[in-house]
Amino acid sequence: MNVLQKRHVLQSFERAKERKAREFRDNLPTWCPGCGHFTPLLGLYEAADELGIATKDFVCVSGIGCSGRFPFFIKGFGLHALHGRAIPVATGVKLANPELTVVAVGGDGDGVGIGGGHFPHAARSNFDLTYLLLDNAIYGLTKGQTSPTSPVGMISGTSPYGNIANPLNPTTMALTFGATYVARVFSQDRENVSRLIKEAIAHRGFSFVHVLSPCVEFHKTVTYDSWEDRVSSLPEEYSPDDRVAALGRSESKEPIYTGLFFRETGPSYKEKAAEIVESLRN
Amino acid sequence: MGQKDLTVRFCGIAGDGIVTSGKIWSRASARLGLDLMVNDNFSAEIRGLGKSTTDIRISSNRVLSMGDGIDVLVAMTGKDAIADLAHLKDGGFVIYDTEIDDDSIADHVLSAEIPDGIRSYPIPLTRISNENTQNTIARNIVSMGALSYLVGLDPSMFVDIIESILKRKSEKLAAKNVAAFHAGRQFCEEHYGEHTSIDAPGGASDASLINGNEAIAYGALDCGLKFFAGYPITPATKIMEICAKELPKLGGWMLQSEDEIAAISAVLGGWFAGKRSMTSTAGPGLALMSEMINLGVMAEVPLVIANVQRGGPSTGLPTKVEQGDLNIALYGGSGDSPRIVMAPTNAEECYAGIKLAFDLAEKYQSPLIFLSDLFLGQHTVVNRIDRSQDLNRSTRVKPNEGELAGYNRFADSETGISPWVAPGEDGAFYSITGLEHSDTGNPNFDAAVHERMQAKRYRKFESMMAELPAPTTIGDDDAEIGITCWGSVTGSVIEAMELAREEGIKSKLMVSMMINPQPEAYFRAFFDSCREVIIPEMNYSGQYAALMKSRYGIRPVEMQIPSVTLPSPKAIAEKIKEVHYERIAETPRLTVV
Repeated sequence: MNVLQKRHVLQSFERAKERKAREFRDNLPTWCPGCGHFTPLLGLYEAADELGIATKDFVCVSGIGCSGRFPFFIKGFGLHALHGRAIPVATGVKLANPELTVVAVGGDGDGVGIGGGHFPHAARSNFDLTYLLLDNAIYGLTKGQTSPTSPVGMISGTSPYGNIANPLNPTTMALTFGATYVARVFSQDRENVSRLIKEAIAHRGFSFVHVLSPCVEFHKTVTYDSWEDRVSSLPEEYSPDDRVAALGRSESKEPIYTGLFFRETGPSYKEKAAEIVESLRN
Repeated sequence: MGQKDLTVRFCGIAGDGIVTSGKIWSRASARLGLDLMVNDNFSAEIRGLGKSTTDIRISSNRVLSMGDGIDVLVAMTGKDAIADLAHLKDGGFVIYDTEIDDDSIADHVLSAEIPDGIRSYPIPLTRISNENTQNTIARNIVSMGALSYLVGLDPSMFVDIIESILKRKSEKLAAKNVAAFHAGRQFCEEHYGEHTSIDAPGGASDASLINGNEAIAYGALDCGLKFFAGYPITPATKIMEICAKELPKLGGWMLQSEDEIAAISAVLGGWFAGKRSMTSTAGPGLALMSEMINLGVMAEVPLVIANVQRGGPSTGLPTKVEQGDLNIALYGGSGDSPRIVMAPTNAEECYAGIKLAFDLAEKYQSPLIFLSDLFLGQHTVVNRIDRSQDLNRSTRVKPNEGELAGYNRFADSETGISPWVAPGEDGAFYSITGLEHSDTGNPNFDAAVHERMQAKRYRKFESMMAELPAPTTIGDDDAEIGITCWGSVTGSVIEAMELAREEGIKSKLMVSMMINPQPEAYFRAFFDSCREVIIPEMNYSGQYAALMKSRYGIRPVEMQIPSVTLPSPKAIAEKIKEVHYERIAETPRLTVV
């Protein structure tokens, strides 16, 4: 562990202490010290607090993986579902009771690996969900295998001679699938993590936040350091209203842009469905 | 005295109007006060020259099955109908077109094959259709006219129905088709006499028709369904389509998911939110849903899955019937994974059963698989369902104030049921998980906790036993031959028992919609009172028989009813007789040499 990583570990302990004081909390997180997931968890607490979402109306649905434990650390209703199925389960919760605030959380393997078939449909349907994808480019809970977002050349137990498949880019996927709110943020960027998650929850329709969240335990190449060197906020003059321009930015490798890529306002799935239901009432 | 029971087969290829013929014939029969059952037999391909047939059995008595054989064959094409001649019963007749394809070859192909004892009625259907509608497409309507005359039925009912179907398209078209219908009758009047007549009780002009898929959908809508998620699959899609149309009118919603996994996931989400939710599927879809069913078991979330069985394994025979999904319904999950399994035996039970399904699943917080099949799902019968009763109620066990203080989502109890607070409700919150968990819902892998929670999940099924409906029993109490079966073959079995009884052989039947759990005490007493037990079912391996053997320790005579075709009451009756003569009777069976 180098100096920078040690600093992150210490910070994460501080955050763990800090979050005990906040409203939206339940059990203590079980993640490794320094895990990238602490910041988005804190961001979710802050967002829910600031938006004034009542505990009884807050539902967090997760898949399987390290990120899958989110619901247990949140004061609200939690649904730790199956591997890859956070999105469709969350969809059912929201459609059955549209009054609830529903946030789906999952990792890269969960969201664009095993559950990759659900992501496009949630985005194109514009379901009223917030989807947080915590991307550490590795299968952490199974102790470090190559994932769908792992870089080419990555050595792991499942790619001992180096990964030869190209990685997926979840931000690009969300943009292509038609998501109406698309953001990317580095988990180290505490302030923007909270701001973007809050904005995403407030968004009407399908909102997506791609969190670059390092695995300090197993990843040797995708780390706080490697990302810190490469990430850069979208330029100030960038305007998040052009999907094609957003794709250009999301595909950029050097730097890896962070911030709000795209936002579009318009009727969400819930609103369109409600309109049909209302028209049939007469 | 006319005929009490008559089965007509309309046979043709795509574009011959076979389905329309079937609709007109069955609606008219229902309005004449006759009971009926319809069997549409399509190939899995939509277009092309795939042959399709529609069989309609009508009777002045209750129709329980499609019976054995047909009385009338209405052949719209020559060559394709040859194979169907073999199904005609003695004394039956065949109507066929003398002018198929503007040459008279095809009818010769057919007429040459007509066996002795079968009367043939060649009619120039194409010519009459052309004369009256300037089109060959009304051949089926001409044949309907001929048929109605040959069996001595009043034309006015048919005219009403043809008009009601076609007036939506145009008045002129309706008038032309009515003329074609009358011309078909007239041809028979001029050339032939009436062949037979039918005893029609009459006086049921408001009779409507229904099939099992419709009965399931309406049953679910009538008992408070709020959310449906599904993926199209033959032969279950109709349930989804009805919900798509009707649910929004009731303030609910139907979601077409991207696959069956997403559909069952959404249904789990819907139930988690406390709303009555369901999906419908068939074997391949049920296989995909297995993992989510397991989550429902572990996290004690109800699920209601209407599975309309078709031939399997794999993609199998999408348009053919088989009772092959019992094992996956009962056992299709990892670990010890108890779930409620129900199997309705007719359309009325599809309606009443799905309501019971929702009540049980919600109260006991358990996945439930409702095993219909293609035969039940797609066979039209006279509608005997009373939808006027208000069935809309929740059976959710909610916590009282004491239980709400220090609420635990998975608190253990005598019944195994834990009071359930849903999101949006005040007083408690929790997380659920597919991991083993303690009373609070938090993951816990202690051996003692696992054992206690397993026992709790299974205890719910013991508690349920007390409120299960009693099984249906039919037949002679003192019979020594007992029969048990499940699902849609039940009608054929009842008819088979009557056939055996005509030979003086008594038998009795016990059948329950509840497959798991089952009202076991009734079955034990029943089996104790039988010398021999026969279990007929429509699958190769005897899935229900295997369950009965392990559950009750009986040694039944297993009978495999061939799937794909429909169960033959005669063949089942033959099995009853065989068991009687080989295992029970003191005198051997008399055989006529």
